Amino acid sequence: MRDGVSPHFAIIYQVSGAVIGELMQTEQDTLKTTPNRLHPKQGEVIDRSTTIRFTFDGVKYIAHPGDTVASALTAAGVKVLSRSFKYHRPRGLLCCAGHCPNCLVQIGDEPNVRACMRSVEAGMDVRAQNVWPSLNRDLLSLTQLGSRLMPVGFYYKTFIRPKKLWPLYEHTLRHAAGLGEVDIDTPSGKFDKQYLHTDVVVVGSGPAGISAALGAAEGGAQVLLFDENSALGGHLRFTVPLHSSLPSQVSKDLPELLEALSQQPNVTAFTDTSVLGWYQDNWLCAAKGARLFKIRTKSVVVATGAYETPLIFDNNDLPGVMLGSAAQRLLHLFGVLPGRQVVIVTANEDGWDVAADLQALGVNVAAIVDEREHNACSSPYRDGLANIGVPVFYRHTIREAIGSSAVSGAKIVRLDGRGEIAPATTQVLQCDLIVTSMGWTPATELLYMAGGKSEYSADRAETVPVSTPPGIYVAGRAAGIHAVDSQITEAWQAGSNAATFAGFGEFDELAAQASDISEPRRTSERVCVPGKKKRFVCYCEDVTDEDVETAIAEGYDSIELLKRYSTISMGPCQGAMCSMNTIHLCARANGRTVQETGTTTARPPIAPVTLGALAGQNVEPVQTTPIHQWHLDHGANMMVAGLWLRPNHYGDPAAEAVCVRKQGGLIDVSPLGKLQLTGPGVPKLLERIYTNQWHNLRVGRVRYGVMCNDEGVVLNDGVCAHLKDETWYMTTTSTGATAVFEWLQWWLQSGWGEGVHLTDLTDTYAAFNLAGPQSRTVLEKLTARNLANKAFPYMRIRSAKIADVPCQLLRIGFTGELAYEVHCPSGYALHVWEALMDVGRELGIAPFGLEAQRILRLEKGHIIVGQDTDAMSDPLSANMAWAVKLNKPDFLGKPSLMRISAEGPKQLLVGFKMVDPDVVPAEGLQVVAPEVDGRLKIIGWVTSSRFSPTLEEAIGLCWLPADLASQNGASFTIRMGGDLKAAHVHHGAFYDPSGERLRM
Amino acid sequence: MLLLTCPNCGDRNVSEFRFGGEYGPRPKDPSATSDAEWANYLYMRHNVMGAQTEWWHHSDGCGLWFLAERYTRTNEVIKTFPYVKRDA
Repeated sequence: MRDGVSPHFAIIYQVSGAVIGELMQTEQDTLKTTPNRLHPKQGEVIDRSTTIRFTFDGVKYIAHPGDTVASALTAAGVKVLSRSFKYHRPRGLLCCAGHCPNCLVQIGDEPNVRACMRSVEAGMDVRAQNVWPSLNRDLLSLTQLGSRLMPVGFYYKTFIRPKKLWPLYEHTLRHAAGLGEVDIDTPSGKFDKQYLHTDVVVVGSGPAGISAALGAAEGGAQVLLFDENSALGGHLRFTVPLHSSLPSQVSKDLPELLEALSQQPNVTAFTDTSVLGWYQDNWLCAAKGARLFKIRTKSVVVATGAYETPLIFDNNDLPGVMLGSAAQRLLHLFGVLPGRQVVIVTANEDGWDVAADLQALGVNVAAIVDEREHNACSSPYRDGLANIGVPVFYRHTIREAIGSSAVSGAKIVRLDGRGEIAPATTQVLQCDLIVTSMGWTPATELLYMAGGKSEYSADRAETVPVSTPPGIYVAGRAAGIHAVDSQITEAWQAGSNAATFAGFGEFDELAAQASDISEPRRTSERVCVPGKKKRFVCYCEDVTDEDVETAIAEGYDSIELLKRYSTISMGPCQGAMCSMNTIHLCARANGRTVQETGTTTARPPIAPVTLGALAGQNVEPVQTTPIHQWHLDHGANMMVAGLWLRPNHYGDPAAEAVCVRKQGGLIDVSPLGKLQLTGPGVPKLLERIYTNQWHNLRVGRVRYGVMCNDEGVVLNDGVCAHLKDETWYMTTTSTGATAVFEWLQWWLQSGWGEGVHLTDLTDTYAAFNLAGPQSRTVLEKLTARNLANKAFPYMRIRSAKIADVPCQLLRIGFTGELAYEVHCPSGYALHVWEALMDVGRELGIAPFGLEAQRILRLEKGHIIVGQDTDAMSDPLSANMAWAVKLNKPDFLGKPSLMRISAEGPKQLLVGFKMVDPDVVPAEGLQVVAPEVDGRLKIIGWVTSSRFSPTLEEAIGLCWLPADLASQNGASFTIRMGGDLKAAHVHHGAFYDPSGERLRM
Repeated sequence: MLLLTCPNCGDRNVSEFRFGGEYGPRPKDPSATSDAEWANYLYMRHNVMGAQTEWWHHSDGCGLWFLAERYTRTNEVIKTFPYVKRDA
C-alpha cells in the first residue's frame, strides 16, 4: 500500500487522464486540469455530465455543477486559497464546512465568500483577498519576521502615543485591516425578508435533525427544518464507510430518513439556510443568500452538530493540514482527493474512519498516529488496516508540519507514560496531507443564546448540555451523542417533546426522560503540542498559543477578557475553530479546570451574513394623499414630509407664494391630522389638553390651540372646531398626527375618558386650503352657501356642498390671506380639487406646494412646531404666550408653565431681518456675541429663514436671550461660515401685522 | 423578539407596540405639588431591577393602552392587563 499502487488508484488516473486529454485539445496552455478528481461514486453531489469554467486569480479552472469553489480548486491541485490576516501566511482548506476563515475569497464584487460553501457558477471571477502583490508571493508575509514586535494586544499598546500621530497610524492601519475589497459603486442587490410561523423549528438536518423533525411532525406539529448545507443529511452524507469489507447499518440510515421525510407533509425543509441567532420568545433569524427569514416558533430543537476541533502544533496552519471531516467531505461529496500521501493524527475512531476511506480509494496512508494505547482503539478497521501494512504509531502525536507553502512532511513524536513528549523520539514522515481528528466541539451557540447551560465532562473532554429552557431541546452531537443509532432514537424523542410543548399531544414523562447514553470518548484533552515554531489557536486573527499565554501573564486571565484582548474567537469563525482550544489553554495557564474557566458569550450572527440581507429591500413606505396622481401629472416636485409624500413646489415656489398674495392658490393639506371628538366630556378634555380656554367656544366657531406635555414643552398645535352640540373636530400638524392620536388615547384610557369618544378621520377626509384674495369668489361659484364675511367670518366652520360634495369649510389659513380650508370625503377629493382648480384657473389661482407655504407662513411669523420649537421649547418662550391661560384650572403643563412664568423665560423665539436684505442665513446657524475676552459665544440659533418675495428681503425666526429678544430692532450677529452677518430683532408679523387681509 | 399579550388582541410581536414608560400616576392636585414633588413626577423613575409595572400601547393594533408587569433583568413579561381607574 505504501507505494500507492492499487487497482482503485489506477482507475482514478484513467478517469482523470480522459478528462485531461479532452481538455488539452482545446485550451492546452491556459486551462488547469483536475488531477485530483476521483472516479464517480455514489452520493456525490456533482454533475459530471457538464463542465463549467471559472477563474481564480486570473487563471482558468474547470468545475462540475455542484462543485464548490474550494472543491474545484482542490481537484485542480490548488492548495493555497488565502493569506492569513496578520502575518499573511499561506492558508488552505481546513474545515471545508464553512466554519473557518481559511478559504475566504472575493467573488466579483462580493468580499469574504467562503469558497467551501459557494457553488461554482460559469464565468465566476474568484480572487484571493488580503494579498500583495499576489497569493503565492505575498510580500506582506514579511510581517511575520517582525512578529516579535507585534505581540498580542500590540494595537492597544503601540498606536496610542503620541496622540497627534493617530491620523497617520489610522491611515496606515486602514490598509492593513480587513480582508476583501468593497466596491462602493456596486449596485444594491435585491434583498428581501420573509416571515415564517410554525410550531417547531429544527436547526440542523443530520440524522438527529431529520429524526427530530419526524418525531415532531408525527405528533401533528408543523415543522421547519433548516440546514446550512446544500442538502439534507448532515454527516451521514460523507461518513458512510467506503470500505466495502465492512457493510454497515449506517449506509441505510440516510436513504431511510430522507424517504420518511418525503412522506411527511408537516415538515418543510430549507437547505443553504444558516440560522443566525435565537431571540427572546423563540424568535429565530435565518439567512438564505439574499433572503432573511424571521421565524416565530413555539419550540426549537437544536440539532446543530459539532465542529471538529483542530490540534495546535508547530505550523499547524500549513496548507495540507486538514480536519478529518473536511477530507471526508471532499472525498464523498465532490470526488476530490485532498492529498496523495497522508498522515492521520487522531485520538478517536473518527480518524480511523478517514484512514479507511482514504485507503479504500487507494491513497497512500503514510501513517496513522494515534495518541492512545493500542488497546484503547476500538475501530473496526484497526486490525484490517494494520494487516495490509498501514504503519500505525500508537502513543504518538504530531509535533510539526514540514513545508513552506504546503505540507511536505510531518514530524511525529512518542508520548511518555504521563502523556508528555518523550525526548529524542522525533521521526520524520513524508506526506502531502496531514489529517487531524482529535475530537469535537458541540455547536451550542443557539442553545446558549436561548439560556441553556452545559457542563464540561472531563471523562469525555466535551461539554454536555445539563439544562435547557422551556421549549428548547437538544439532539445529536450538540447533545453529546455521536453514535448514529442513538442520535436517531434520542432525537425522535426530542422532536416529540418539542411538539408536545407546542401543544400537540400529552406529555409522556416516562418516554420524555433522556436515557443514559454511554458514549466512547471521542475527544482528546490534548489540544496543543509544544514546539518551537508558530502554533495557531485562532486562524482568523493569527493568534498563537504563546500569545494566549502572554495575554494571561499580562493579567487577562478570565476567558471573556482574554477574548477581548487577544481578539480570539472574534473573527469570521466566531469561535467555531478556537473556542474549546482557548478554554483549555486558559484553564491550563490558570491552573483551573475547564468547567471553572467557563465559556464566552454566544451572540448572533453565528454564521456570516451580508449586510444587504439584514437591511432588506431598499424601500421606505410613505403615505400619499388622495390626489397624489394629480400632483405628479402637474409637474409637482415631491418631497417626504413626515410619513407623507407631498408636493414641495410645482416649479417656482417664490412665484407660487406671490400668486397666493395677489390672486390666490390651492394647497393639498390632506396630511393634517383630523380627529373627531364626541360626547358630553369633550369640553372638559379640551380644557385639560390645550393651554387655552375651550368651554366657551360656541358651535360653529374655530379656535387655535397649543398642546403641551406636563413638562410644559410644546407637543403640537392646530385648530379645533365646535361642530355641533357634542361634536368637535380637531386638526393637528401633519407630522404630529399619530403622536397626538396616541397622546389623546393615553389620557382618555388612563382616566380622562369619561364622556368622550375619539375617532381618527385623518385618512377619511382630504383637506385643501384655498388662500388668497380671490378665494371667496372661487368658492362662491361652487356652493350655494352664503360666504359673505358677515355670514361666514374668520375662525368659523360651516357645512357646505362644494361641487355637490358635502364638505366642512373652515375659515382659517396659515398664509395670512383670506382663506378657506375645504375638508371633503377622501373618495371625492379629486373631484373637489379639480372643480376648485377649474374655476380658480380663470381667476388666476395656481396650486402651491409646501415651500411656498413655508415662505408665506414665515412672512406672517407663524411657527412650525418641531422646526421652530424643539424638545425644550415651552409656549411662553416660543411666542405663544397669548395662547396660554394660566388662570384656568389644571391642564397639561400648567404646573411647569406656572414655574417658568414665575422665573421668566430665558430664551425667546423672535422674528429677525437681515441688515443685508439679500443674505439668507441657513436654518440652524448660530447667533453669536463676543465675550469679555473677545471670543465668540453662542447665544442663540436660527430656526427658520427664507427670502421673502413679497417684502423682497431675507426674514427669519431665531431663538435669542430674553433681554435681547424683547427689544424690537436690537442688533445681533449670525455666524455664517467664517463671516459674521448683522441682523436685527423684528417684533410681530413681517407681513400684514394687523391681520386685515385674513378678515376681508 | 419579545411577545407581548395585548389584552384585546392576544400574543403579538413587540414591534407592534409602543413602550409608554413606568407606571406613575399624575399627582391628584398638580397645583398643590411642591417643586420636589412635581420634579419627581416628571423626571424621577424607579428603574428597578425586578418586576416593573409599565405602560404599553398597541399602536399598530387596536390602540389600547394597557399595563404590563415585566422583570427588567430577564425581560420576562409576568402579565399584561387593562388599566382600570382606581376610585378617587
